[in-house]
Amino acid sequence: MSTRTRLSGPGTMAAGGHNATDRFKDALSGLVMPRPDGRAHHDSTPRLQSHGFASMFYLPELIPNLVLVAYGAVIIWSASLSIEEASFPRQLMGIALGLIVAAFVWHYDYRRLAGKAKVLMIIDVVLMLLPSVPGLGYSAKGMTGWIKIPLIGATLQPSEFAKPVTILLMASLASEYNGLIDSFRDYVKLCAALCVPFVLILTQPDLGTGLIVLVMGASIIICGGAKKRWVLATLGLIVVGAAFVVATSMTDGFPHILKQYQLNRLIVFVDPSVDPTGDGYNLTQAKIAVGSGGLLGKGIGNASQAGGGFLPEAHTDFVFALLAEEFGFVGALFLLLLFGLMVFSSIGLAMRTDSCFGRLVIVGVVSMWLFQLLENVGMCIGIMPITGIPLPFVSFGSSSMLTQLASMGLIQSVWHHRTKAG
Amino acid sequence: MGVFSVILAIVAVLAIAVLVVAFIFYSKGDARFKMDIGGSAPRAAGGNDTSGEERSHGRLKGLGIFGGGVIVALLARLWDMQVLHSDDYTSQAESNRTRTISVAAPRGRILDRNGVEIVSNRPSETVVASSDVASNDIELQLLGNLIGMPVVAVKRNIEDTTEGAQSARKVASDVSRRVVAFIGEHPNMFDGVDVEQRTSRYYPMGNLAAHVVGYTGTVTNEQLDASNNSDDEGAIEYESGDIVGQSGVEYQYENVLQGVRGEQDVYVDANGNVLDYSTYVAPTSGSDVVLTIDAALQKAAEESLANVIKLVQKNATSTCNAGSVVCLDVTNGEVLAMASAPTFSPNIFVGGISNDDWTSLSSEENGYPLLNRVISGQYPSASTIKPIVAFAALDNGICTADTIFDCTGWWTGLGSGAGQWCWKHSGHGNIDLQNGITYSCDVVFYEIGKGFYLSSEPENLQAKFKEWGLGSKKDIDLPSEGAGRVPTPEWKWEYYSNYSDDDRTWKGGDWTNLCIGQGDLLVTPLQMACAYMGIANGGTIWRPHVLKCIKSAAGTGSVVDYVPSQELTVSEDSSYMELVHQGLQGVIYKEAEWQTKHWDTMSETIAGKSGTAEVANKQPTGWFVAYAPADDPKYVVASAIEDATWGSNSAMYVVRDVMGAIFGEPDTVAKSCAPISSSSDT
Repeated sequence: MSTRTRLSGPGTMAAGGHNATDRFKDALSGLVMPRPDGRAHHDSTPRLQSHGFASMFYLPELIPNLVLVAYGAVIIWSASLSIEEASFPRQLMGIALGLIVAAFVWHYDYRRLAGKAKVLMIIDVVLMLLPSVPGLGYSAKGMTGWIKIPLIGATLQPSEFAKPVTILLMASLASEYNGLIDSFRDYVKLCAALCVPFVLILTQPDLGTGLIVLVMGASIIICGGAKKRWVLATLGLIVVGAAFVVATSMTDGFPHILKQYQLNRLIVFVDPSVDPTGDGYNLTQAKIAVGSGGLLGKGIGNASQAGGGFLPEAHTDFVFALLAEEFGFVGALFLLLLFGLMVFSSIGLAMRTDSCFGRLVIVGVVSMWLFQLLENVGMCIGIMPITGIPLPFVSFGSSSMLTQLASMGLIQSVWHHRTKAG
Repeated sequence: MGVFSVILAIVAVLAIAVLVVAFIFYSKGDARFKMDIGGSAPRAAGGNDTSGEERSHGRLKGLGIFGGGVIVALLARLWDMQVLHSDDYTSQAESNRTRTISVAAPRGRILDRNGVEIVSNRPSETVVASSDVASNDIELQLLGNLIGMPVVAVKRNIEDTTEGAQSARKVASDVSRRVVAFIGEHPNMFDGVDVEQRTSRYYPMGNLAAHVVGYTGTVTNEQLDASNNSDDEGAIEYESGDIVGQSGVEYQYENVLQGVRGEQDVYVDANGNVLDYSTYVAPTSGSDVVLTIDAALQKAAEESLANVIKLVQKNATSTCNAGSVVCLDVTNGEVLAMASAPTFSPNIFVGGISNDDWTSLSSEENGYPLLNRVISGQYPSASTIKPIVAFAALDNGICTADTIFDCTGWWTGLGSGAGQWCWKHSGHGNIDLQNGITYSCDVVFYEIGKGFYLSSEPENLQAKFKEWGLGSKKDIDLPSEGAGRVPTPEWKWEYYSNYSDDDRTWKGGDWTNLCIGQGDLLVTPLQMACAYMGIANGGTIWRPHVLKCIKSAAGTGSVVDYVPSQELTVSEDSSYMELVHQGLQGVIYKEAEWQTKHWDTMSETIAGKSGTAEVANKQPTGWFVAYAPADDPKYVVASAIEDATWGSNSAMYVVRDVMGAIFGEPDTVAKSCAPISSSSDT
């Protein structure tokens, strides 16, 4: 599996044409090659043939990912011991459904979506607007980010499903430039396209998911070849804009764009002792849970912070604190190791993927995982402000599990549908 | 915590993000740029056809570095929290989940000198409920119906957290056996409800010595603050809801009677529900206090006081309802009996006193039953002061034992415009100082007053009063003692500052008034008892006290025995002392035949003095103080009855009854009593 051979495809052979259309055609030329079945169409190396299973799945990503899913299931099982809402069977059902979805995604040739930016954009917008449909929307925790499916009664969070769609959308748009976004107009167009899902998600309002979308999109644009000074300038603008928004929200007489609870989260992030029983409570309790876990943890089912109810949302947003309390530094290290393997193997796959679209899809998935990991773990240990972002593959909730397993399926699909020339 | 620090934090975070991105760009470089440096041969036209891929690869590496950075940063922070500072967080987690419930300790008992229980504890069947019962309306209704309490009261009691959030909440105490049985038989109906045996104050002798033992109540906010702010290591730390002594011995010896609370550590969840029990420290009950009071004598004193007040009400003053009597051991200052009327039941304070009861106990109309008149009742001493005035006169040479005074019943020594009556309007004729005491001749003491008025050091009179312990507290081991008042010219000038200069000025009449114990002089019955203790002892006055000893918690021994101490020692010439002794015996055996009849039934020789203090807008306060046996004194008894009649018609009977109880020789002569107006020559 550890082939170091560059998987070359027609895409690299593209020569001459420098206009966008040509590049687009070039990019597609490798992608639309007929592939009647999943097997190697071109001459495959003998090694790959002798490992049929290995050729179908990208094991360096798949194995740690499945271990992570199992690890997460153990955590949710232990949470279910003390937290009523954390239904272990429901989580298992989510995993099962997710694996089925992942299998479909894996089997589906992702490259067919490369030119479907318009369709993807429509799906994205529809998903974002679903919670606002009367009779369908469902409010919880101060935002209308859920929908309640009639008859079944299950609640879903469409913005979760919008994340892979946005990845595909942005990758599809950015891959048109085949790695060199040298026109400022194109850059602005891409940024504008990203703003559509971002703004829609903010109206729910779901700042956390919005930030994920922003980071994923930005990563895709950057890895898609945007010029560095534009990117830096954009980031500078965002910094100034964010500071401006916070400043006006905290000053009387100016429009308050941020809600009070969002401001409070920022304030307690800087100083949790401001309000140790209110907004600072969650942060303080999460840190106590993590810190008291120590090197080896308190053992499964022995988490007094999470089990005693001191740690709120111990099965969803603060699931990492539960994990760190029960399994200690060693358990946290194991979690980060699994994520590290997934991230680096996926980047390695991206490096060897000739298709720009495939590369950018991987970039989107990897940046989503990295940012969610950073934010979710970071808020439990006080280095990031609190937002309601789930820990991929671990947090309780079927929407997140389906989305993340589908994303895993995307990575596997990129491998499955790689060009296997020479 | 301002806007700026938040903005600063955001700017810092995002600036780091910018730096990371910049680093990625610059470190990974630009493929084209790198080629130039490498000096590779320029490619043909379109030679940068792979530049898109190379730029892309550079940025993928950047993404990898960012990912590595994220993981390393998280690990570094986790190492810091979970390995380096784990102990801090562990202790925080521990304090999060552990709570301490206090277990009340029974108070010590209060016993009389012979070990008879005056105050003890009794088990009290108490219905308790866990906090979540408050949200169960059906259960609340059932409980209310069973106990006979309104549902809102049941709910309020259960929601009361004064005993600690994790403690079971008291719903009702002293419930009937029927309630206990019903709850025991229907555990399913009363989930979370339990019957606990707690203790409450119990008074086996009823109201006996109520003023001495005092009452208990829930700790007040002031007491809580005081105990929390106390630097004293041994001081008791009170918790809200604790039962503490609020008056009498219960208050005075609170730190002895109060036990040490036990502690039960429990594990709780975030909602405060008890998950498990941890260490338990059993409570230590308070120590028993043994008083100098003799319960039998106390009972006799209280009964006599009540009877005599009834007698006065019936025959002299219908409004008479208050008085007091105290009996001391003159050899050591022990208080053998101390009774005050009207009295109260300390039992009504158990479990909290109702507003109505409190109002009734605090009203003037009911005669302030909570007042211990022995130590807090302050009245003019009337004629009981005469022995001390005699000492003052003899010591200052105002008169001698042989001086003869002429009493015509009307005395005009300070001028004919300022004449004063002797109590006996018909006059005593020629009379010396000893007989002046015996017959309580006012004229004798008017002359002494005039003598001080004219003397170069007139205030030696007040000095003598103070020498005998008047005008200052006796420092008895009971709270709320009154100091009394020995008036002086300066005092009068200050006290009546709103009056005209003429009215404020101390005059001759003030001297004569002071010498017969009327006017502005105020003494407590305890002070007079102590002064007569000094007379009986030939000058020695022991500090009066009610504590005999504190019993050890285990066994029968005592931990602390009260060591008697001499409060005052007055030195008087023995001949003067003899004159006063004789004068006081004369009161009993010579002054009046009907009076002597009451005392003749006793085998011991008695010495005593009556007094009748004039009080504005009321009938006089009747006084009597006596000690016995006269030749070898052992007991002194003092009594004062408010709004009464002659002291010899009221307080004397109480003193006689107490003496009778001591020596087992009750007063067998019918007690007569008449109002002042019709008995002016008695």
